[in-house]
Amino acid sequence: MRTRREFLALSAGAVAATALGPRRADAAPKAMTIVRESSFIKAFDDYFAKTLLPEYEKLTGIKMSYEAVSVGGMLTRLTTIVETKSGPEVAMTAINWPHLFDAGLVDLTDVATEIGKKLGPWHDNVLDAVVVNKRWKALPWGNIGQLEAYRTDWFAEVGVKKFPDTWEDLLAAGRLLKKKGHPFGFELGHGFGDNHGWLYPLLWSYGGREVDKDGKTVLIDSPETAKAVDFCRKFYQETMLEDVLGWTDVNNNKAYLGEQISCTNNASSILVVAKRDFPEIAKVTDHGMNPQGPKGRYHIINAVSHAVVNHADVAASKAFLRWLYDDKQMSRWLASGDAYYAPFLTAYDNHPMWNSEPRYLPYKESLKTSRLHGWPGPAGHALAESVAKYVLVDMFAKACRGDSTKDVITTAASQLKQIYKAK
Amino acid sequence: MIIGGRDFLGRLRRLYLPLAVFLVLMLFPFYWMLITSIKPNRELYNARIMPLIVHQPTLKHYVDLLYETNFLTWTYNTMLVAVVTTLVSVVLGTMMAYPLARLRFPGAAVVAIGVAATYLVPQPLLFIPMSDIINRLDLGNTLTAVMLTYPTLLIPFSAWLLMGYFKSVPRELEEAARIDGASRFQAMTRIVLPLCTPGLLSAGIFSFTLAQNEFLYALIFLAKSEVRTVPVGAITELIRGDVFYWGQLMAAALLGSVPVAVIYSFFVDYYVAGLTAGSVKS
Repeated sequence: MRTRREFLALSAGAVAATALGPRRADAAPKAMTIVRESSFIKAFDDYFAKTLLPEYEKLTGIKMSYEAVSVGGMLTRLTTIVETKSGPEVAMTAINWPHLFDAGLVDLTDVATEIGKKLGPWHDNVLDAVVVNKRWKALPWGNIGQLEAYRTDWFAEVGVKKFPDTWEDLLAAGRLLKKKGHPFGFELGHGFGDNHGWLYPLLWSYGGREVDKDGKTVLIDSPETAKAVDFCRKFYQETMLEDVLGWTDVNNNKAYLGEQISCTNNASSILVVAKRDFPEIAKVTDHGMNPQGPKGRYHIINAVSHAVVNHADVAASKAFLRWLYDDKQMSRWLASGDAYYAPFLTAYDNHPMWNSEPRYLPYKESLKTSRLHGWPGPAGHALAESVAKYVLVDMFAKACRGDSTKDVITTAASQLKQIYKAK
Repeated sequence: MIIGGRDFLGRLRRLYLPLAVFLVLMLFPFYWMLITSIKPNRELYNARIMPLIVHQPTLKHYVDLLYETNFLTWTYNTMLVAVVTTLVSVVLGTMMAYPLARLRFPGAAVVAIGVAATYLVPQPLLFIPMSDIINRLDLGNTLTAVMLTYPTLLIPFSAWLLMGYFKSVPRELEEAARIDGASRFQAMTRIVLPLCTPGLLSAGIFSFTLAQNEFLYALIFLAKSEVRTVPVGAITELIRGDVFYWGQLMAAALLGSVPVAVIYSFFVDYYVAGLTAGSVKS
């Protein structure tokens, strides 16, 4: 039995521990901020900031703020937040960012599992992007898909009523269209999405790979890659505007809406803007899946997701995400996005948001064949470096410019070996 | 001397034509901004019509910019930050440059090199520690954050620039003032500084322009729309994904450049006067 002295010492210790220890989970923070890159769909941002956050604020009493970062600025912002351990608690991630900031992000496996049980299962191809060392480091809300936007009227003029199913068929259609004065315009410059959106899938569909699963064996120097490069050169020379070599993501939108090109690889933004400003172009615009090559059909994945940073009140942040990813909220929010984001939760595969515009349906379909940049290599820092240095884009672009297939592949292989520290 | 001679053709060939070419080159960006800001989207995207002429002008982009964004607030923020930063940088830069240029003390050369080296440190290396300091001071999302951080770039530059100007003023002038009874401070304020007006204006113009255009610190420290400056505000709200709101962007760029153009036009006479001061006996 304890003496009175021992009992008092123990009690005092307990009181001190309560006062100085970590805050209890039920002591909610006074405020919380969510930071994301400003959405292409303004209504999507507005619905979040002006409807959903006030609702949550009313429900919990936590002052909720939304911070929109300019396009291209989110990675810098996230770096600052994680490095300085201050600022917004919930932050957007894209591509493979959860892998880059692994140590600075909270494990969300429990929340992802709960949501997956309710609204899922999750499409498993998103796991590469957000699961790091078997832990969910971000919760995806949707994929910004990259498909072909094309002019149905001009394709019909050359006898193509349905979007070509293979790269070779697309090449054949492109030849005819270019002769008619309606060339293609696929980005081959240093943009952020519309280049990778078709070049990685093109490589994969011919059986080429940058690197193996182990992240140590560079596979780019292969006959399959050579076939993809040869096709790309032909595709560029026989179907496209010459200046696509210097294009970034904005150029193909402008060229398409300016009726300079008949087909390009893009997110659904072309159709969205056409419906708003160019209704007559919108009427004759449709989307086609990436064509298939000898080894299948592929698309690129860009899982935009929410992560919780380490300095956040974890319980409160998770509670907010649980509320946001509840169907009552998620359903309304996704609908405000005009199907720009294809959800990774299978419960939304047949959501009414897809019915309002059947031309967006291929973006949903493309999820099944979508892979992360650099697939099947590991989604770590090396992958990010390869993407940031445009290794693959430059390999194809240099070939289109006239360099030999052998030279461009040798250069890419050398760069990849350096990046992946392969032997 | 009359440039190009007295006959009209000579003046046309040697003066007006080069001047016209120069004028077109200088004003073309403004003309492009203007016509882009008043073109409807249908014209902006149409590559088949003459791009240098506006066929159906519209003020829609200006109306959208002023009523659907916080552009006026961003402009006010930008001007406030630029003015405060410029004043702080020029005053502190002068206070640093004068002793380095005029006084002999141990370590002056090291300090002078240190000033230049500080200016050469690139912003991407500094923004994380700066951000940490700003957060510790609890100044996130306030204009004070950028008013404090911009001078870290501008003071070293101003000081370096002004050191050169101070050194170019003959010591004898200052010594004469001292013999006439002026204190060192008076000699500085009444003799050296007036002679260095071009340097002060150059430092001021540089500081103002950089503070007005700065992007990285503004992006990191000013997260809320109502405290943003024009460069960050415009890019955040007028570039969405792969779609640029060209009309509104150009309207913002044009309106944003007007205050600067007006301020410069006021200073240009003093600037030129300062450059030539003392070059001839009056």
